[in-house]
Amino acid sequence: MSRIFYDRLIVLEDFGREVKKKTSSKEEEFEIWELVDNILSHKVMDIVLEKLPLKHHNEFIEKFLEAPFDETLFDYLKEKIEDNIEEVIKQEIGTLAYELLEDIKGSRDE
Amino acid sequence: MPKNPAKTYEDILEDKTGYDYFRNKLKLKDIEAKNSFSKKYPHIEKFMKKKGISLEKIREHSAKILGAGALTGTLLLAPPSGLNTLPKPLELFNNLKNPGKFLTELPQKTLIDLLAQFLPERTRPLSQNEEKVLEQMFEEVMGIKTRTNLEGEHLNTTYGLIGAEQHLKRYPGDGVENHGEGSVLKEGIAPGLGAWGYFAASKEKLTPSLEETEKWYAVVQTLYLEDWNSRQPYLRNWYKYRKVLIVNTNNGNAVVASVADSGPAMWTGKNFGGSPEVMEYLGGSRYKKGPVLVFFVDDPENKVSLGPVDYNKINLPLVSLEKG
Repeated sequence: MSRIFYDRLIVLEDFGREVKKKTSSKEEEFEIWELVDNILSHKVMDIVLEKLPLKHHNEFIEKFLEAPFDETLFDYLKEKIEDNIEEVIKQEIGTLAYELLEDIKGSRDE
Repeated sequence: MPKNPAKTYEDILEDKTGYDYFRNKLKLKDIEAKNSFSKKYPHIEKFMKKKGISLEKIREHSAKILGAGALTGTLLLAPPSGLNTLPKPLELFNNLKNPGKFLTELPQKTLIDLLAQFLPERTRPLSQNEEKVLEQMFEEVMGIKTRTNLEGEHLNTTYGLIGAEQHLKRYPGDGVENHGEGSVLKEGIAPGLGAWGYFAASKEKLTPSLEETEKWYAVVQTLYLEDWNSRQPYLRNWYKYRKVLIVNTNNGNAVVASVADSGPAMWTGKNFGGSPEVMEYLGGSRYKKGPVLVFFVDDPENKVSLGPVDYNKINLPLVSLEKG
């Protein structure tokens, strides 16, 4: 099923449309998808770990690796983090989505 | 002045043309994200390395765990928090078999009511048990035999969000103007080809059946299947033009479509795609995204037609249009 617990917070629809316009084959499209997926996974984990007190890092990563798809990981994070972590992720990813959109729109068509 | 060796990537970025430029820019962003992560969280890197997992492979890792769970029947998906407790499938289905309650209603109304009771508020992969009940519901209410697990194959999810797709080029030189008329032309035609390439080698070789295939096409996330890469070319052939039943869970509108493209990316927030015709039938000309169920159609003799399922006109034993 290939799900990650934070998937529902990531919605890069406009960027996805631009990727379709910019790519001429499925291979090209999939390559972009993978790169974006990698960037997102590092970015989201960075946001989470930055907010999560250091003493809980290992415990969280252990839980995450056991069930990366499990949305109840947010329950764990909500207990340990004061900020609304879901909102923080949405906002930060929103900024990244804007940057990506600017980048792809800034690249001229051949 | 000699170039700074650490900035040779600038050469790559000088050529600001389309795909290559953007891909290189993304690659740099990817490297930067990895480097920054390693620098900030060396303890996490070390921990993950010890477990033999990296963040780049986390989706694959997740799919493996879920796949193993599905094989052994282990319940790995804890119901996400904030969801209502689901009614017991058997109890719900028994309601369907109570003609007194449903004979007075149109089949579509019956289905909408049942789905509203049965499905979780937010889309998510369903359990085997939940899927079985829905298979029975569709067969009883619509007269279409569906399977979520057909010949051992299962989609990465069966309950998710569908998004509007463009028309696909059916043969070299095909243009949007050849794809009908009216609002279905608004979405335009995709610049690239679908995952299975052209439908026909030329306009002359495009049969009415292939025309229907493109008209009523669906997009599913084949590339996120755990074994997609390891079971080629079998899976590619198996999924090509595979019939699926798509049901809009908000209004009960249903379409039989054929799988003709792969996608969308997980980060678009969607799980399936539909051709302009599919989307228009499911939700009207302004429908761009919404929750749907997508099940394989069990049709070994190829008797089920592609296109809308107008099940209010059919007269099935359990849900008759005639009042008792």
